[in-house]
Amino acid sequence: MALETALSRPVQLDRCEGIVREALLRRRAEIRKSWRSLIPSECLESLGSIPKDVESLLSGQDAFRDWRFAAAFTWTDCDASFLDSLCVIALGGKVEYRPLDTGPAPLLPLELNKLSRDERLKTLCDRYRCPLNIGLSSESNVAEELLRQLMVPDRAKLETGDEFDADFVLLKLNLVGIRAMITRDLRFLDALNYFYELPQRSLARIRTSPRFLAFWLCIYAQLLSAPDW
Amino acid sequence: MRVAIIAGSISGGIRIAQEMESLPGVDVFVVLCNVGKRSPLLRWSRELLSALKTFKWWTLARKAWSYARQRRLVILHRPLDDATSIERLKSLQCDVGLHAANVIYRDLTISAFRLGILNAHIGILPKYRGRSVAEWSILQSDRTGVTVFFIDSGIDTGSRIVLREFIPSRGWNNALKFKNMLFGCDARLYRKALETLMQPGVRFESNDVSKGQRYYVMSKMLTRVVNEALLDDKV
Repeated sequence: MALETALSRPVQLDRCEGIVREALLRRRAEIRKSWRSLIPSECLESLGSIPKDVESLLSGQDAFRDWRFAAAFTWTDCDASFLDSLCVIALGGKVEYRPLDTGPAPLLPLELNKLSRDERLKTLCDRYRCPLNIGLSSESNVAEELLRQLMVPDRAKLETGDEFDADFVLLKLNLVGIRAMITRDLRFLDALNYFYELPQRSLARIRTSPRFLAFWLCIYAQLLSAPDW
Repeated sequence: MRVAIIAGSISGGIRIAQEMESLPGVDVFVVLCNVGKRSPLLRWSRELLSALKTFKWWTLARKAWSYARQRRLVILHRPLDDATSIERLKSLQCDVGLHAANVIYRDLTISAFRLGILNAHIGILPKYRGRSVAEWSILQSDRTGVTVFFIDSGIDTGSRIVLREFIPSRGWNNALKFKNMLFGCDARLYRKALETLMQPGVRFESNDVSKGQRYYVMSKMLTRVVNEALLDDKV
């Protein structure tokens, strides 16, 4: 049945990888110069003890931590809270984690979407207290759903100026970014590219969550510096 | 075989209908939907504008009139999944619908056609579902082309693939132009798909979604990368 009527010579993979790498580094350099327009000083000051670390990561040289090995775990646990663990990962630090032999029961996207907004936030923060778990293959359904939500309804709301939940969008951007760190799936990185490219007026609307915003930008900066895409 | 083109504009519907007309044993209808629930004034102004843009507006007008006279031009005033629209579609007793409107189909609409609704998707299924798939294929050095398949209510998840045609990106220096060319292949490929469907003992290839991924609108950054890769490939 497949009527393959023409031969197609695809664009060379090595060449594409080279062009992608150059583009990512250009974007990284752009962020180094312009991140303050995204996180203004009042936002930075509200971050408590970490503004210097955020500043140093975003303005500094291309630093990143390779978390790809985490994909091999069944599940990991950590003592720190979700926000503290996310902060460590975002700033390129080392999360103290313990690999476990078994993970929790699968979370079905349908179940997640049935929950109220607060329950959904809590479910995701509890489940990914060790945020590295979002990169596991067992979590691909949840990760795909978060990516879908970002790139379909959330994107539409941001672009049309409709009401949206800044906390939740930023939480999803952070988790999707960590998934990209672990899996090197370009689709997940590109969601961050897409949101970064939104007009300033749209991005200004997500400044209501300075902590999540700073973490997202730090994770994005690390992703742009990572080789092997 | 009775075929209805589910079109977002008269010009879009007639363009595909003309390709089908010469197929022996095929009765063609053009079903015009009101995409985006536009007001009558906006809807018909857009129609007029789109007709004028074709530069063949007189031929188009004559053709549309001919379809209307033969009661082969069906204008839906309600949304496509509204009960009255579905009843109207069912009354046409069509075997196949051809997707040519920017709408998402519900199961009830799809089942108004005996075999279902065909979509000419500008990516190779099952690997590339969703949006910007031509660009993603180029970026990942995969083959580009169009897949004609029977849709279901999901995003490019319909299980029956009728045909797949590989169309190389080589020679194109811009992803958007390449994509528009792929979109423009729809009438020819729908015709080819109908020819296939009219063959005895037709068998479908399975669209195994586990062998692919859903893709989304590509960022400007990666689109520039794709354009650069195309230019590079052209040299």
